Amino acid sequence: MLSRVASSLYWMSRYIERSDGILRMLKINYASSQDTVQKFTWEPVVRIFAGVPDEDVEVLEYDSRAVLKYMVLDRENPNSILNIITQARENARSVQEHIPKDLWQCLNEYYHAVRNPQLNYWLEKDDPITALDILIKQGMLYYGTVEITMERGEARSYMNMGHALERSIQSVDILDTKFGSVDDNPDLLTDTTYWKHLLLSLGGYEIYLKTYRSKGFEASNVLEQVMFNTDFPRSVIYSVKHIEIYFERLKSESNMEEFRELSFLIGRLQSSIRYSSVKTIYEEGLHEYLTNIRSELFKIGNKLNQHYFAFQ
Amino acid sequence: MQESAYFKNYNPTPGTWDEMYGPDSKIRDHYQKVIQYLNRESIDDLNKKEDLAKRLFMSQGITFTVYNSGEGIEKIFPFDIIPRIITGDEWAFVEKGIKQRLHVLNLFLKDVYSNQFIIKDGIVPIDIIYSCPHFLREMCNVEVPYDIYVHIAGIDLIRDYDGTFYVLEDNLRTPSGVSYMLENREITKRLFPDLLPQCGVRSVTEYPNILYKNLLSLSPRQIPHPVIVLLSPGIYNSAYFEHTTLARLMGVELVEGRDLVVNNSKVYMKTTTGLQQVDVIYRRVDDEFLDPLEFNPSSILGVSGIMGAYRKGNVAIVNAVGNGVADDKAIYSYVPEMIRYYLNEEPILKNVPTFQLGNPEEKEYVFSNINKMVVKRTNGSGGYGMLMGHAASEQETEEYKNEILKNPRDFIAQPTISLSAAPCYMQGSLTPRRIDLRPYALCGPDGIEIVPGGLTRVALREGSLVVNSSQGGGSKDTWVLL
Repeated sequence: MLSRVASSLYWMSRYIERSDGILRMLKINYASSQDTVQKFTWEPVVRIFAGVPDEDVEVLEYDSRAVLKYMVLDRENPNSILNIITQARENARSVQEHIPKDLWQCLNEYYHAVRNPQLNYWLEKDDPITALDILIKQGMLYYGTVEITMERGEARSYMNMGHALERSIQSVDILDTKFGSVDDNPDLLTDTTYWKHLLLSLGGYEIYLKTYRSKGFEASNVLEQVMFNTDFPRSVIYSVKHIEIYFERLKSESNMEEFRELSFLIGRLQSSIRYSSVKTIYEEGLHEYLTNIRSELFKIGNKLNQHYFAFQ
Repeated sequence: MQESAYFKNYNPTPGTWDEMYGPDSKIRDHYQKVIQYLNRESIDDLNKKEDLAKRLFMSQGITFTVYNSGEGIEKIFPFDIIPRIITGDEWAFVEKGIKQRLHVLNLFLKDVYSNQFIIKDGIVPIDIIYSCPHFLREMCNVEVPYDIYVHIAGIDLIRDYDGTFYVLEDNLRTPSGVSYMLENREITKRLFPDLLPQCGVRSVTEYPNILYKNLLSLSPRQIPHPVIVLLSPGIYNSAYFEHTTLARLMGVELVEGRDLVVNNSKVYMKTTTGLQQVDVIYRRVDDEFLDPLEFNPSSILGVSGIMGAYRKGNVAIVNAVGNGVADDKAIYSYVPEMIRYYLNEEPILKNVPTFQLGNPEEKEYVFSNINKMVVKRTNGSGGYGMLMGHAASEQETEEYKNEILKNPRDFIAQPTISLSAAPCYMQGSLTPRRIDLRPYALCGPDGIEIVPGGLTRVALREGSLVVNSSQGGGSKDTWVLL
């Protein structure tokens, strides 16, 4: 497969995964902003997903509609859904003959959906959840289309690695930010709605109830689920396992050395997660632990780029 | 028939060939079935079909992007839902004519880049060849497989007032539009269920298979699975949709210049598992940008050293490099003579009479009859830089004459040919609009094949004679009947 094609497929997946994460986060946060007597802050969302400078955070922080518009439709925000989907589609466009026609059409329709002027109206004046749901559904159509039409081969391996890498980075970022806020405001530690919303935005609420029903909403249980639950598709351990599975399929005689180097990185990260627990994390310091994992994930992304996508 | 609501505004233009109306305002036989079908549909139905066509183009991403104020706007190439219909007899004539012409153009290219008998025998003047910017000395005495230079040709045909076909232009470099021939047909199948088989419309779907077979036969390496690629300038090219469609339909890799590298006079593509040698390149990048070492040094669309690999015969390039010398508008007027010279046959398809403004007598004649002429640049395309004598103001004409006098070799003039008209669906009724026809001919070692059909371009503005998409043109599905 052409290096450029592999790179486009990988980034197409990462962008879709990112848009899915952002949209779910926005939906749950908006819902919770309607369900609180205190002033609702968008600060963590804006920090995790948009990398907004501090002075702008203050402007946006308490204005739900402004945040929604900024995160979904703003052309100046490189991580707005509009820009991300445009990027995903540009990537898909350049590899059209490697993906099923259905998948290209699906992305193309997603793109036209984001550009529908009606979205702006819902986000600004009417029910924003209608707009977010339309877009989330487009993303689900994408995942379904990939599942039933995509050839099981090299192309899909790059796509799945893109998904898993993006997803694990997102989960780590969300944990880091949410637990970081607790340091500033210890009351949150016992605020059940705070943890409930975190789980909802990751789609992990039902699994949590099943696993920890009798124990209530506790920060350490949330941490355990998002880091270590192998049945939870957004957990870090699940995502890293999938990076490994799909990377192993790329094994080929012609570039053994590069393959081993990456395989080593992925294996080491996987072991370091598998052989830690909530207890060891707290001993080590949560923020340091998450920072380390994030940097290992970035390293994997960079090595992939260097050995498999570099065509310059 | 005349009472039908769709024909209220249908007034055939006097002095033009109408594809649907015959003499005495009778609908020609080959249009009967379609018209009967349309008469059974309400205006509402047809409007819905028009909407469906737009939606299908949009959702399949059959669009080109216009960059405006920093933001890309997606546009669809306008499509008229009423098919243009060609009878089996008309087609047989056109097919024969194009085969003859393409055969000769390939002989001409071989000759002009090797022995140049045609120049020595005084058939084509030497200065007209050497002054052509598309004549590439880099191609002299380069061996190309099977002596085929033009593998893919798009020959533009028009019909005069009496229905006679004329060749307006030969496109022998990187003719585009064939994906619209294929997609227009797919969309028509959805718009008019069952109508195509009822009318006996011949299929065009073999095009990518024939092209693939021809590309395969050009591989310099005798191996079971030669590597064939389609070289595209990338996603910002207006024909990018066509490049992906053809690559997908043929199952070949779509590459950009940056995906290829030349080492030891062989072309390789960069893959996730290392370099892989490439045997055949169907390129959609112009000659000028193909190799920065030999042509435009600032090109980033091409591949450094690719011409070296080509000359050594390590890679086949389709169409061959340097074909522009054969579809130059000044050389066009010599094609009938070429046919007589190489084949000792009379040309089947007529040329539009063409005046060379480089020749002082012809220039005088053109200047005194300029309101009956169309003046074009010899290296122009896309309908830009033309003077339509009958429509231009006195000032425009004077300015254009001054342009001509600067370098008369760069211009030719042709008498205004009126272009035939065909019915188009516009706001609830049928109205005549001017059309042309571009069939696509494929030349391989086994001969020349032409799928029955082509691209019919239509001038959507009333009274306009310019069908180019950049000038308000659209397209129609083109039916060739059994």
